[in-house]
Amino acid sequence: MIAENTQTQMRKGILEYCILSIISRGEIYASDIIAELKKAQLLVVEGTLYPLLTRLKNNGLLSYTWKESSSGPPRKYYQITAEGQAVLSRLDITWKELVFAVEISMQGRKD
Amino acid sequence: MNKTIIININSIVFHIEEDAYDTLRSYMIDIKKHFGNTAESKEILEDIENRIAEMFNERIQTGRKEVINLEDVQQVIQQMGRVSDFEESEGAAGGEDFHHERQAGQVPHIEYVGKKLMRDPDDKMVGGVCSGLAHYFGMEPIWTRVLLVVFVLLGGSGVLVYIILWIVMPAAETRADKMAMRGEAPNLQNFKRSFDEEAKNLSETFSGTGEHISRSARTAGNVLSGCLGLIGKMIAWIMLIFAGLNLLGLFIFYVFNMMNFFGLENPMFFPPLKGLSTNDGIIALTFGFLAIAIPFFALFFWLTRILFKTDKLNSYLSLTMFAAWIVSIVGIIYYCIATAQDFREKSTINVQKDIQPQAIYNFAEKDIRVLDASEQDSLQSKFNVQLDGQDLRNYLHRDISIYFESIDSLSQPYIQYSYSAKGRTYQLASERAHNIAYEAIQESSTFLFPSHFLLMKNALDRDQQVRVTVYLPRGARVRLQRSIEPKVRDISYWECLNNYPEEARQQQKYTEWTMSGAGLVCIQKPQPTPKEEEEEAVESKMKALLNEIKDRKDSVIRIGDSDVTIEVKDNSVRINTKKQEKN
Repeated sequence: MIAENTQTQMRKGILEYCILSIISRGEIYASDIIAELKKAQLLVVEGTLYPLLTRLKNNGLLSYTWKESSSGPPRKYYQITAEGQAVLSRLDITWKELVFAVEISMQGRKD
Repeated sequence: MNKTIIININSIVFHIEEDAYDTLRSYMIDIKKHFGNTAESKEILEDIENRIAEMFNERIQTGRKEVINLEDVQQVIQQMGRVSDFEESEGAAGGEDFHHERQAGQVPHIEYVGKKLMRDPDDKMVGGVCSGLAHYFGMEPIWTRVLLVVFVLLGGSGVLVYIILWIVMPAAETRADKMAMRGEAPNLQNFKRSFDEEAKNLSETFSGTGEHISRSARTAGNVLSGCLGLIGKMIAWIMLIFAGLNLLGLFIFYVFNMMNFFGLENPMFFPPLKGLSTNDGIIALTFGFLAIAIPFFALFFWLTRILFKTDKLNSYLSLTMFAAWIVSIVGIIYYCIATAQDFREKSTINVQKDIQPQAIYNFAEKDIRVLDASEQDSLQSKFNVQLDGQDLRNYLHRDISIYFESIDSLSQPYIQYSYSAKGRTYQLASERAHNIAYEAIQESSTFLFPSHFLLMKNALDRDQQVRVTVYLPRGARVRLQRSIEPKVRDISYWECLNNYPEEARQQQKYTEWTMSGAGLVCIQKPQPTPKEEEEEAVESKMKALLNEIKDRKDSVIRIGDSDVTIEVKDNSVRINTKKQEKN
């Protein structure tokens, strides 16, 4: 139970970071984000993404524009804001620190 | 062939099969529940809906088809993820984000809604009634079963209760039924849970041992349920015929009674309606008809629905019928109260009429219904008595009683008429009493009392009565004709008639009485009773015996035709009842 909890929380934190960095590459559609995340084996179902995107957007890290699609309804295309960019660079630093911390803590392990 | 439903997601129209729609709908409901109801969640839902629409669209375009089926929906849901998947990824720490978040991995709690009382076909010994009851009251089926056995042992009432419940409770056939029976909300999680449990139960049943008793009981139950179905159908048919005949009868009754109100006189007339005026009567009759006919109609329709599987009655129509029924009941109650109120006060009017003294007072009845000897037997006269072109049948009343009282032998004889009626107020009652027309007709020494009295001015039937008291001087001779017998009170006409010799009784058209201080007394003395006759016979026998013993040593008793002689020789006593003749 505790293991699962920790896993979920780790995943969740990393997921937001990954989403931000995928979007920072340029304007992107939600299902393309999913495709990327699936490739990275971070996300299984699409439904999970939408709450995260909405929250990031509401916190001012993302914005979106409606674009006509050739097939079907218009789509939301997300892009990162300046604020999002700032957060992302802070997260980059944090991530490096974390990687360092994890490496340090793993050095003593035998396997 | 499948029924399709047209839905609109994000202003794109899709044709979707019914079962697919149901699944999609419960999925969306689940998601809505999960995210709650905030501005943020609304946006999330919109995104999800849009994405679903897009996926449907892709499927239609790539698959070259027009209708979304269950498989499509399931695949889309798979891709979008179930609520449990969301929970997993959101995790425990995300609790501050959505007020609906739950612990990851926690067993989703079951939402209980209103339970339905249904038989459980999966957990049954005979018909599944006990387990159904247990589900309903939230206890183990063993307790309801024990309770049933107790009731069966205590006078067998349990058997009847069981059969009734078996008929009344529907079986929980579908998964939705079963969930309703257990009181679970019909959402996707519960559906899945129910399905899993079922699969588990199935495997348990197959691997389980010691099931013989239960299984045989179940077979018996199935046979019994078949029989019950047949019996139920028969009962339904009988009830259908019963309800139909009742409806027909009521309708005929209604029409004929209505005809009475509109001048088409016929013998079918519901007596309580006499207490109402024509207008009120029409309304009250209609109310009464509806109040009784509507439940029968509902029963009739319900049975046809069961037997012929016809469609449900239009809800507007059934609601209207229900409203009409309620109104009718209220209307009837109103008329009952209003009419009863009209019987509250009673008023009596007394009128005295002097009559000429007679040697013999003769009293008879005059049947005023008989108008013409030639018409007497025709249907017309029986049901349509008319006087001066006015129909009198409804105005004829026969609540008439006649009393005889004595007065001083030299006083003037008179007849007192007491007219009484009832009404809401005393004034109304006396007005009604005033409208009674009744008086005896004198023809020489005979007083003719009409058989009925009439109510003037179209008066309502309000317990109108006429009480006639004839005051006659003491010693007056009275002759009561047989026709008047039903109206005479206090004295027994038949007792007096019985005083007449038996052979004359049939021809005897009247009885004769005299007025004494205590009322009328029958003049005719009672006929000798059989006991007296017996005494006479004994007497004559004695006579014959005495004839035989006239010679004895010491005395002689001589019985002749006209005299009796008794001689006692020793003392020379001679007694002869006959006058002594000359030698």
